[in-house]
Amino acid sequence: MPTLYKFTTALLALTGCISLAVTGEINPLMSISALALLPGYYRFIKGERHAGTALIGTLSVMALAVFVFDALLVSGDFFIAVAHLTITFQALKSFDLKEPWDHLQVYFVSLLQLIIASELTSALAFGVIFVFFMLLLVTAMVLSHFMKEGRMSGLSLKKPVMVMSFLTVVVTVVFFVALPRTPYRFLGKTHIKGIKTSGFSEQMDFGSLSSIKLDPSVIARVELSRDFRGPYYWRGHTLDHFDGKSWRNTLKDRRRIYRSAADEFILSDYDRAGALGQTFYLEPIDSDVLFSLEQARGVRADAYAIYVDTAESIYVPGKRSRRIKYTAYSIPGAEYPGSVEKAYIQLPSDNKPVADLAKSVTAGLRTDAERASAVERYLRNSYTYSLTLSPSAGGVNPVEEFLLRTKKGYCEHYAAGMVIMLRSLGVPARVVTGFYGGEKNEYGDYTIIRSSDAHSWVEALIGGSWKRFDPTPPVSNEKRQAYALVWDSVEMAWARYVVGFSYKDQRFALNYLATNLDLRRLPNIFKPGQPGMKSDPYIIPVLGLFTLIVYLFYRLWAWYRGRKRYGPLTSEYVAIRRMLAKKGIRIAPSSTSGDVLSVTRQYHFNKDLSEFIALYEGARFGRKDPDALIKKADVLLQAIKKSGLR
Amino acid sequence: MNDNMINQSVKQLQSRMETVLRGKPEAVKMSIVSLLARGNLLIEDIPGVGKTTLAYALARSLDCSFRRIQFTSDLLPTDIIGVNIFNQETHGFEFRPGPIFSNIVLADEINRTNPKTQSALLEAMNEKKITVENDTYVLPEPFMVIATQNPMESHGTFPLPESQLDRFLLHIHIGYPDPEFERTAVVERASFELLHTLTPVLSKAEVIAMQTDVEKVHTDAGVVDYLMRIVEETRRHKDVRLGCSTRGAQFFVRAVKANAYYEGRDFIVPDDVKTLAPLAIGHRLILRTRKTLSDAETIVRDITERLPVPL
Repeated sequence: MPTLYKFTTALLALTGCISLAVTGEINPLMSISALALLPGYYRFIKGERHAGTALIGTLSVMALAVFVFDALLVSGDFFIAVAHLTITFQALKSFDLKEPWDHLQVYFVSLLQLIIASELTSALAFGVIFVFFMLLLVTAMVLSHFMKEGRMSGLSLKKPVMVMSFLTVVVTVVFFVALPRTPYRFLGKTHIKGIKTSGFSEQMDFGSLSSIKLDPSVIARVELSRDFRGPYYWRGHTLDHFDGKSWRNTLKDRRRIYRSAADEFILSDYDRAGALGQTFYLEPIDSDVLFSLEQARGVRADAYAIYVDTAESIYVPGKRSRRIKYTAYSIPGAEYPGSVEKAYIQLPSDNKPVADLAKSVTAGLRTDAERASAVERYLRNSYTYSLTLSPSAGGVNPVEEFLLRTKKGYCEHYAAGMVIMLRSLGVPARVVTGFYGGEKNEYGDYTIIRSSDAHSWVEALIGGSWKRFDPTPPVSNEKRQAYALVWDSVEMAWARYVVGFSYKDQRFALNYLATNLDLRRLPNIFKPGQPGMKSDPYIIPVLGLFTLIVYLFYRLWAWYRGRKRYGPLTSEYVAIRRMLAKKGIRIAPSSTSGDVLSVTRQYHFNKDLSEFIALYEGARFGRKDPDALIKKADVLLQAIKKSGLR
Repeated sequence: MNDNMINQSVKQLQSRMETVLRGKPEAVKMSIVSLLARGNLLIEDIPGVGKTTLAYALARSLDCSFRRIQFTSDLLPTDIIGVNIFNQETHGFEFRPGPIFSNIVLADEINRTNPKTQSALLEAMNEKKITVENDTYVLPEPFMVIATQNPMESHGTFPLPESQLDRFLLHIHIGYPDPEFERTAVVERASFELLHTLTPVLSKAEVIAMQTDVEKVHTDAGVVDYLMRIVEETRRHKDVRLGCSTRGAQFFVRAVKANAYYEGRDFIVPDDVKTLAPLAIGHRLILRTRKTLSDAETIVRDITERLPVPL
């Protein structure tokens, strides 16, 4: 068995396991067996003896037992447990590769691993691994095909494998583009844990945001439909109830919004022309909430229905831990009305010290608006922003502690403090969580929202409509280096064009092809100034690529047919004849090997050619074993090709 | 069969002959091929280019008996095969073998004698035995006739009938040597004198062994198909009245095998077929118009240039 083939199998097994590893969902302890892959395949490539059947059998049974244990207790997820099991099987198989059938098993398990990985991640790294896997698989299949035929010739395989790999990638792309899309996924349940964003859960404990604020993970990438100067308050959901320790959302009343005829979820009627569209590529996070710049008026998303609560926060049930693309439409700066609810003036018991503070800050002011601004100003100017807080003693009201004693805190404390102060003054208010700012990526013209952009601020009901206040002093964010931004734009492209490739994109691509690839206009390409050339500069490269693909398919087919008809040495001889004829040397169908040698007498390669022809004729007409001659023939062929046919 | 051994014996013979016949490798090769294939050779060329020398050189390089018969218009069959003579002492007839009882017989200017005498020779060539009255005499092994004829002289000649030409395995021309070789040949001692210095390199047994080996040469079906297509094409050609016979095809295959053996191979290739086709079947064709043998060879060449070779 050729080393190349063994090597390909080893790489396939490794690729399968690595694809699972990059998802980050795999338990390292449960997949520790992967370490055995390296010695396993080292031994295999070296040609050492495979392990005993009894040992492999015992270990396999043990692996199954571990699988049950894993599925029920450790991962608690059948899917992940299967992933662990495949890794163990790959490791066991590496010691037990005997028959050609065993190689097929390795391919199959690797493929299974890739399928599992595809369900666990949609990261760019997986895409790269997938392409690599395809190339390896094609190589392995071509190799195994020739081994089955009992013929191997290192020389003549490189080109077909390369051509076939290229075609496979192209065909994969075509399939990817052409595969029917539905807005809904095949598997109901997701197995991705999602990025921890505890700030957006139903309950907000103080201190939960501090760790997030240091996390640079990308939460979302947003494309805006038009320029917007800011400020960028990416609104998530609101919290209304403070029990003295933590915040909760008690307004559970959600109304269901159905898709309109225009394929949009309309929350409230709005002027479409003035609306700002924000297309989100939201990474999997552990919350069902959708973000938008201020209150969204309409949403386009691949979902059956969305829900909106009384605070205009949007939820997609079951979205949790799933990558989603949606477009929210909102009108920045517009007022929106609200009504006084009991929840918005709820206060914890024993609120006197805070109420006193609020009164002293707003003494002499008459309107709610003035008072709210005064509180905002007061908090901004007199308190210190800090992410490193010593944990407060148990039983202490953290808001009171912040406002009256430590005077140090971050957005959570500021927002909570302001809400409690406003409520003490009788102004209905609520805490809003979401993200603030984000980073504009010039390479791709979109905004990156990171975990560290998490923020909370305040909405107060003044004069019958909700107004936004942000008592947190401004903090400057660190700037990222250009290469990081370029790389992020690649990930954005991956999210946009590969992961997020939708039915709509398909329709767009088809439309594009239908309108631009008008065959009647094709002749005009060669007449400058005519429509066809001018309307679409892409048509020429597209047609060129198409022609190349057709040509490569033809060459592959011709090569394969030649192989079938001639066998290895003969097909090389035929190829040489063709090469010589192309060079202008007179080679007719009636030219025998002697004729070929006599017309090439004056060339340097003549001697090598005559030796090669002797080998070829020995194999073709003389009952000599071609496999025994191929090595020698390859050397001669290389020499002939290297001579440049001179 | 060892590749090296094949080459060595053949190479020795070839180089020995070339010490005398310089600048005529094709003629030397074809004479050896004829010998290897147990065939008879017809050399047709103008006088003075070494027809007789070639026959001599071959015979002298082998440890074989050699006789030359100069064909004249009054030559009788008995002058070739021998005659029964009455022995007065034993009161019985006694067979006196003629010059045909040699390993290599040079029939010089075969077209100068009458058809009756010609046929006596041709029968011997075909059957490798002689029947005189009721007694049959087997000719020695190896046996080969090298006949020469002169195409230019037509007075007082009896051209060989095509059916008898068919008995020859190959029909070759010698031609003038390359100028440089010719120059040397003219200045130096005549080839004919050099002939006497030749010593044999192969014994009879070795020649017979080689002939046996030639029969074992592998004939690939594809190459035989190619050969048969050439043969069929000669029968179909518009200028040919009578194409190559089945015996002609048999001879052709034998010649091709011998050529492969000569080249050091134990299998035939299309190139053997193409190279030998004009020499092996050209003289077997009867053309529609009365033309020379060279025309027939041209026809065969045309056919081989037209047919695709098996790859």
